Amino acid sequence: MAEMSVIWLRVAAALYSVGLLHAILTLVRKREHLFRVSLTAVSIGAVLHGVSIVEEGLLMNRCPIANFYETSSMCAFLIITLFLLVYWRYKTESLGVFIFPLVFVMTMVSTMGNPVDASWSNPILRSAWLDVHITLVLLGFAALAFTAGASLLYLFQERELKRKKPRKLYYRLPPLGTLDELISRSMALGFVLMTLAVIAATTWAFIEHKTEWISQPAIAISFITWGCYLAMVFLRMTAGWRGRKAAIMVIVVVGLSAITWVAHARLGSWLTKQ
Amino acid sequence: MKLLVTGVSHKTAPVEVRECLAFPEPALPDALQLLKARPGVSEACILSTCNRVEITVTTDDPFDPQALVDDFLRESRMVAPASFEPYVYRHAGQSAIHHLFRVAASLDSMVVGEPQILGQLKNAYGVAKSQGAICGWLEGLLERAFTVAKRVRSETGIGQMAVSVSYAAVELARKIFGSLNHRTVMIAGAGKMSELAARHLRRSGATHVFVTNRTHERAIEMAKLFQGTPVEYNRFVDMLPEVDILIASSGAPHYIVHKEEMQRVISARRNKPMFLIDIAVPRNIEPSVNDLDNVFLYDIDDLQEVVNANIRERQKEAERAEEIVKQEVERMMARLKVQEVTPTIVSLQEELERIRVAEIEKVRRKYGPVTREQEEAWEMLTRGIMNKVAHGPISELRLQAGQPDGEPVIAAIRKVFRLQS
Repeated sequence: MAEMSVIWLRVAAALYSVGLLHAILTLVRKREHLFRVSLTAVSIGAVLHGVSIVEEGLLMNRCPIANFYETSSMCAFLIITLFLLVYWRYKTESLGVFIFPLVFVMTMVSTMGNPVDASWSNPILRSAWLDVHITLVLLGFAALAFTAGASLLYLFQERELKRKKPRKLYYRLPPLGTLDELISRSMALGFVLMTLAVIAATTWAFIEHKTEWISQPAIAISFITWGCYLAMVFLRMTAGWRGRKAAIMVIVVVGLSAITWVAHARLGSWLTKQ
Repeated sequence: MKLLVTGVSHKTAPVEVRECLAFPEPALPDALQLLKARPGVSEACILSTCNRVEITVTTDDPFDPQALVDDFLRESRMVAPASFEPYVYRHAGQSAIHHLFRVAASLDSMVVGEPQILGQLKNAYGVAKSQGAICGWLEGLLERAFTVAKRVRSETGIGQMAVSVSYAAVELARKIFGSLNHRTVMIAGAGKMSELAARHLRRSGATHVFVTNRTHERAIEMAKLFQGTPVEYNRFVDMLPEVDILIASSGAPHYIVHKEEMQRVISARRNKPMFLIDIAVPRNIEPSVNDLDNVFLYDIDDLQEVVNANIRERQKEAERAEEIVKQEVERMMARLKVQEVTPTIVSLQEELERIRVAEIEKVRRKYGPVTREQEEAWEMLTRGIMNKVAHGPISELRLQAGQPDGEPVIAAIRKVFRLQS
């Protein structure tokens, strides 16, 4: 990859991170924040992203979709372009909460096709990325478990209210509104933690293992899990998915998280062999 | 001292009897004065509500409290004791304490757990206190009863479940939404019950009320009651996406809200839950609406079912409350028993002290003046012996105070130490 196109791509990723910040703030504070700023940043990012792809294509003299990193970059570029077009026509602000993190993570991953020299930083700092990643993931799992528990209680209470014949559970369980609030908050918090964990892990793997790590199935599983989590948060925020639907989504994400965890236990030994 | 509660309640007497014995509020101070002025009466309190009339007195030992109260009733209420005798209950001593605690905790009320009785009892206590009719023992007992009532209320769910249909609706709304702050209510159709439910919801925090009615003038009129907004009848379904709670009570002979409409409403609300209360007969809302996700539809029978379940739940809580009352009565009795032996303990200590002082005096007379140090040594020695001797019987007295067969032991200690009764 050409030197300049890599720089443009990295700058684009940095600009997309403003969009990520917008999504995080919106989820945590439950109000739209920084949308104007992030829209500007993301638009500039998209232009630079385009420039990077064109430069790369010209230099290689082919369409830059030959490997995973290039495809990821192209895909992210197409998604953000589509989003900007749709936004320009329909003013779909809330879609940003879903698109911005997705595009950021995809672009960030695609910048990693070009390894940097890791000798510049000391080993303690480098392994700190991994510690941060594990701590964040564990906190994220805790929040997710909390969400799952509250979703289950929501299902029970909802059923009691629909049955119209109060039993013991009806009196003991908290109101639906309270549970709903709890689910929203813990889900948003969990998502923020997981996203930061993904960023930390990607950075660490990039510094330590250059480019080979991306082909591991465990990595693919964790990205799928994160994507499902993102979809769940988005559906809840925009379509207000509650009750049964929300509970099923949470169970899917919990299941995937468990698989990711198991897959990562093996990943550890693979990485040490490297 | 004797304690007696004499009374009639909804459980023992019909209203014709209760009204003859009732004391209207303005007459209460005079009645208390009259009762207190009777020879032998030390303290008195009169509780008079629509469901019960109760006279609680404490009298000095030689007097018969039952005769005193009967005389008082005959004079002040102009009724012959024979006419109310079959309806009256009387509780003395421990049973009276138990009864008072149960009444305060609302366990003897018509609707178990209703909170008014405690207020009424506090009121009766206030009047009696202002008239000087209670000043000491009975005052302490009533205050204890208030504490017991508070404990029952906080440790059991006896007062928590709604027992009227309109309150049950509010409680359900709370179960669905958590807090009712900033919730919007719509009333479709006028009626006493919907008005009452809307009023309760408004008081619980609902911020806005829409009112719609086939006759628009009636809607405007009702909207004024809640500082709400009247909505034209043919437009009200369009407004539903903004409404969290719908109370339907129109006289329409057919459904005014259908499943397809509600499906659209709920997706326009982005699946935010909605509570529909249908108190109309014939029903206003298609029953299958309840099958939609995030819609909770209750008709009048469903609400009644909730009320019945709540009453059953209150009964269960009442059993726990009875346990608490029983414990509190036992605690009170133990305390009273300890109070009973207190004079014995005091006289035992006085007797031992008298002996000690007399013995020191005897020694002083025999050996003449002593130094200050010697005096202190005597003092220490004799006090030490006295305390050691007194320790056994005093602990035994305290121990036996609450016991059913403690009486002979207490009598024996009095006899051994030659304490005067």
